[in-house]
Amino acid sequence: MDEMEKRLAACFSAVLPDLSPEEIRQASPTSVEGWDSVATVTLLAVVEEEFGITIDEEDPARFDSFKNILAYLQQTVK
Amino acid sequence: MKLIEALAILKGAKDRSTGAFTCFLATGFNPLHLNTFLTAELALLFTDQKIQIQNGLYGDLLGNVSRLEKAAVEVGIVVIEWADLDARLGIRSSALSSPSLCVDIVETVRTRASQIQRSIEATCQRMPVIVCFPTLPLLPISFVPGWQASSLEIELNAIMQSVCSQISQCAQVRVLSPQRMDMASPLPERHDVESELLTGFPYRLAHASALANLLAQLTRQPTPKKGLITDLDDTLWRGLLGEVGSEGISWDLDHHSQMHAFYQRILGALASEGVLLGIASKNERAFVESALGRKDLALPPMVFFPIEVSWGAKSEAVARILKTWNVGPDSVVFIDDSPLELAEVKASHPEMECLQFPTKNSVAIYDLALRLRDLFGKSAILEEDSIRAQSIRRSHAVANDYKAARRTAANFLEHVEAEMSFDFTKVPLDPRALELVNKTNQFNLNGKRFKEASWQDYFRSPESFLLLASYTDKYGPLGKIAVIAGRQNGRKLYIDTWVMSCRAFSRRIEYMCLEELFAKLGVDDIELDYVRTERNSPLREFLAEVSGGASPKCRIYRHSFEKRSNTLREPQEMTNG
Repeated sequence: MDEMEKRLAACFSAVLPDLSPEEIRQASPTSVEGWDSVATVTLLAVVEEEFGITIDEEDPARFDSFKNILAYLQQTVK
Repeated sequence: MKLIEALAILKGAKDRSTGAFTCFLATGFNPLHLNTFLTAELALLFTDQKIQIQNGLYGDLLGNVSRLEKAAVEVGIVVIEWADLDARLGIRSSALSSPSLCVDIVETVRTRASQIQRSIEATCQRMPVIVCFPTLPLLPISFVPGWQASSLEIELNAIMQSVCSQISQCAQVRVLSPQRMDMASPLPERHDVESELLTGFPYRLAHASALANLLAQLTRQPTPKKGLITDLDDTLWRGLLGEVGSEGISWDLDHHSQMHAFYQRILGALASEGVLLGIASKNERAFVESALGRKDLALPPMVFFPIEVSWGAKSEAVARILKTWNVGPDSVVFIDDSPLELAEVKASHPEMECLQFPTKNSVAIYDLALRLRDLFGKSAILEEDSIRAQSIRRSHAVANDYKAARRTAANFLEHVEAEMSFDFTKVPLDPRALELVNKTNQFNLNGKRFKEASWQDYFRSPESFLLLASYTDKYGPLGKIAVIAGRQNGRKLYIDTWVMSCRAFSRRIEYMCLEELFAKLGVDDIELDYVRTERNSPLREFLAEVSGGASPKCRIYRHSFEKRSNTLREPQEMTNG
């Protein structure tokens, strides 16, 4: 797990504290019971704060899983 | 605090099993991250309690304030933003104003603000209510350019000021300081337009965090410090007295030393609020007396007591002052310009707040003033505050008089013309009673502290009673100095709380309180909810005398108390109050 992945996992762990590290990597709204709209808003706010970015939320589908958010960060954060 | 840190605090506090701290956060907007930050801040303040925050319905501030009125919580928090008073003032429904629309908006805001005010006034009869007036800037909806205050802006602010002024008069209402808010969160960095449009949450995270921090502080204001010990040279005044003499020291414009005059005025203000002021200085006493006798000093020198002037260690002088005041080091602030002296005092009194006087940085005197305001701040100044320092001086006179006359405790009280008065009033509750309960350590039955709401709830029970004792003698009044709270069941009394100010020691006030309870309430048996604490040895010693020993649920019977009380009217050593 690289540094960015670790930091993102910490964000997930803060918002969805009951998930194990393995579950976090597989997490999506359909697989995690507590991942509701409030969790999404909170998660994006935590990620923005942690990585110092502003996420363009026009396409929320891009942020519907750990993998997708990680991919977004890898493209956006230098 | 970052959001991820707040969430981590919440995670850590999740499994707390002791009682919950409950509050109701009434907002018109979606409280989202403000809830998270507030819960985290409260979890840091109430370290052993679960934090439970209730909210009402999104978009209904008026309704939520009404819900707060009926909520079973300890504290109510109302956060008002402009859009909650009229949706047209929010970005989701904003309208560029025409003059007629402005009139309508002003009237709507006036009506809603007035309704909110009435609800808050009703709610604060039951619980403390914290109120935050709009923190977000008004949207640029007026027709005037932004650098000109529009009549709409002026009128809306006037309405808020008026409501704020009126509700702040209510005893249990605490208004968040806009000035402190401005310092913690710059105005242009508060509003998150995108978040408000997308989720209904109008704050940037940093603003939500700062706001939550201040709201949390208002839920439990720390116990104010009781005393301040100050150095003299390059602190109370500029210059070294031993080198330049009393005429050479300064605190004026000519010598560029006005910061010391400002400091003197701060101390004068603290003294008038009941803060004890002492001096610890390495100097010659005659020089100090001459300097304190200068007519242009910005505060009367008599506010300082005691004045410890010697060439010994400052920590020893500080220890003597603490003994005279009969307060612990954790209740006192020490101020000196010398880092060495500060370190020496801190090493001997680690619980003491030691602050450096910024002699070489006049800008920093403002920060010191802010710090002192926070350390000594209190919601209200009571009668007892104004007589505290005088009564400590008098205690010395009393002790000296006692020693000189070698009197017994009983005839000594006669000699000083001691007078006690007892007040059993429960409605309205005297705020001095709770203040005493929450700050007294030594003569304290069990160390229990109360929040305002639980203190009020306690006295709702018809069996409950409250005794507030006042004392005066020929040396002057001590004010309200003892509190007993308990319950009566027939001829038996249960005392749950008993505190007495250390200023009232050695006057047999505790005996007179018991005599009053037996006589006034007609009971034969008193059971005390005694718990040993680190600092309640004076109470323990008293119980050993009247109850044969201090133990949980120890009892005092009328017949044996009366017998002992007579025996105890024998000569005894007078301690210094």
